[in-house]
Amino acid sequence: MRALSIASTGMQAQQTNVETIANNLANMNTTGFKEQRAEFQDLLYENVQTPGAQTSDQGTYAPNGIQLGAGVKMAAIYRITTQGDLQSTGNPYDVAVQGPGYFRIQQPDGTDAYTRAGNFSLSPQGQIVTQDGMLVQPGITIPQNTISVTINAQGQVNATVAGNTTPQTVGQLELDRFPNEAGLNAVGGNLFLETPASGNAQAGVPGSPGYGTIQQGFLETSNVNSVDEITALITAQRAYEMNSKVVTAADQMMQQITQMAGA
Amino acid sequence: MDNSLLVSLSQQLAASRAMDVIANNLANASTPGYKREDARFEQYLERVAPSSLERGPQTLSFVEDAGIARDTAQGAVTHTGATYDFAINGNGYFALQTPQGVRYTRDGHFSLNADGQIVNSSGYALLGQNGPVTITPDDLDVQVGPDGSISSTVNGIGTQVDQLRLVDFADDHALMKEGSNLYSTTQAENAATGATIQQGALEASNVQPVVEISNMIQVMRAYQATTALSQSQQQLAGQAIQRLGTMPN
Repeated sequence: MRALSIASTGMQAQQTNVETIANNLANMNTTGFKEQRAEFQDLLYENVQTPGAQTSDQGTYAPNGIQLGAGVKMAAIYRITTQGDLQSTGNPYDVAVQGPGYFRIQQPDGTDAYTRAGNFSLSPQGQIVTQDGMLVQPGITIPQNTISVTINAQGQVNATVAGNTTPQTVGQLELDRFPNEAGLNAVGGNLFLETPASGNAQAGVPGSPGYGTIQQGFLETSNVNSVDEITALITAQRAYEMNSKVVTAADQMMQQITQMAGA
Repeated sequence: MDNSLLVSLSQQLAASRAMDVIANNLANASTPGYKREDARFEQYLERVAPSSLERGPQTLSFVEDAGIARDTAQGAVTHTGATYDFAINGNGYFALQTPQGVRYTRDGHFSLNADGQIVNSSGYALLGQNGPVTITPDDLDVQVGPDGSISSTVNGIGTQVDQLRLVDFADDHALMKEGSNLYSTTQAENAATGATIQQGALEASNVQPVVEISNMIQVMRAYQATTALSQSQQQLAGQAIQRLGTMPN
């Protein structure tokens, strides 16, 4: 009985769906997190009778074929890269990107990673680093005895040092964008890696065409919408339940056969 | 007597196939653009020789598969907010370039690949009027209008990129399902009229759980009834053998 295996593909798919929703909800307060969505596709069909098969020599044909489906499969879990809300923090090293673009981060092994989470801090050497201590590229060092740091919309970092009234430019933040940002490989820790699907990173100055602007003292919240997620969760749970009913029904039908044979 | 068992068998086979179709509908309840299907059956008459007590030709009626009909009703349009999610309102299909040739789909989830082409989850390029649609990194604020026209802003100036190739067919029930939400056909494409595109949304499947579950119960009960019939036939046969087989003293 095929219905059993079909229903099990349905249950597996809904389970992954619930897992994706759970991950979205768990990351509701993660800075720069982008919600994910599971996408499904139907499985291959067995052609018992091809649609449009001829039923006579006079050219009549069957309006409907007999194509038996085999269930459902996961097609993708994709990220929806819409802008998250900006939340004021007042911390001078918190920067949010408004519009497209990722900060480039140097990982401990020297390779580049990309992030939307702009909750940066200073290292003991005065460099701007992420919460995990990775260097923000291009490297910016804040001089000692700095009283205040301002980062403008174009990503220019200005520091006012004690005893000096005019701020001096100490660095320039850059943003990277990708032909297909949904194709980036999420590696956890709010970091993404470049992949063949995402295309090559193109660095640029914030505020130039195609790049977002920088907002100092703000963080980008996750773009997870709790109402959407809860509705999706209910739908997924019901779909799971219905597939389990199919399993029960198919099981009962098979049970009757075995009882009949035993009579 | 054997005939009634065979008639029951034909019904049981039909019921289990109907069950498979319902299972596939429910498994695809969350598949975007999926269209629910209904198993259709027909009567198959067989002439049998009348017994000595009957007059005229007698017929036996079996059940057999007639087809699986696709219900092409519109699915609900659900908001996703993704730039490259498109829902079709009305009759029409997206055209995709696949290695096997052009294929059609109602599943409107697309993204960009590394070359900037709009592709589906399998990486097949979405076709516009001028072939695969390519979005360059300079195309900002990509908008898709109700008629499928794709426009963007390049250096602050609005430009038309392409228009989606929305197609329709004389008989869309005859489209072959290929899995992965794709259809293939040998029919000629017509430009879809009366189909509108909604950006940032997906067409959900048109599977209605209540309908499927009640159909499922119906199929299961029919199956039970037939099984009971076969069982009583078996008992009847058993009794006949016992009674008739008893040697008179």
